[in-house]
Amino acid sequence: MRNRVREQRTQRGLSQAELAAALSVSRQTVISIESGRYLPSLPLAFAIARFFDLTVDKMFDPDDEEAGP
Amino acid sequence: MMAFIPPRLRKPAVIAAAGVLFGAAWLVRGGPLWWISIPALIAAPARAIFLYWGGGQDTDAGALAASHADERQQLLSLRSRALACNLAVIAAFIGLTAAIAVKAAWWWPFLVILGIAGLGYLLGLLNYGVTEAGTPDDVDTRHQTRSPVNS
Repeated sequence: MRNRVREQRTQRGLSQAELAAALSVSRQTVISIESGRYLPSLPLAFAIARFFDLTVDKMFDPDDEEAGP
Repeated sequence: MMAFIPPRLRKPAVIAAAGVLFGAAWLVRGGPLWWISIPALIAAPARAIFLYWGGGQDTDAGALAASHADERQQLLSLRSRALACNLAVIAAFIGLTAAIAVKAAWWWPFLVILGIAGLGYLLGLLNYGVTEAGTPDDVDTRHQTRSPVNS
């Protein structure tokens, strides 16, 4: 499943550590989500989407398997 | 009880307590092997200090050691524990089978381990709601799907 976390984060000039702190997760988890190795839980997916002012389906694209785990 | 202990100290405290108990058991047992309590009593605090130090590291292992793991790290820990439990059950089964085959008197501890693992699994199923019957669809939706036009 492809996601736009890295794209959105870099657009806003945030580091992985800053995003991790904002989402109350570890930096390693942000790295895993960005690389597609980890699919976040629904609450975390909503938290990510809300943080970037996007909807969950805009943030995570289930039809795109490019970066899938 | 653990709530009173700061998260970063929890795992080191458990490790230290377990090590001290293990060492004390060898001391109480006495006999020619009492000296095993010495390395046990030294290793436990050393391991606890190492865990406390590890808890300050910016890694998955550090987060787990400091008891502040996020959802992915908790999932990693859960999977690792499940794997460890599976391996322990396989080892216990092999031990039980071997003990029976050689007519050894020490077959029953393996059976106890297998029994506890089985009971633990059943307890987990009960605890996490696998046996919940739920509410039948019709009963649940009948009053909710009534049209406001007809009411």
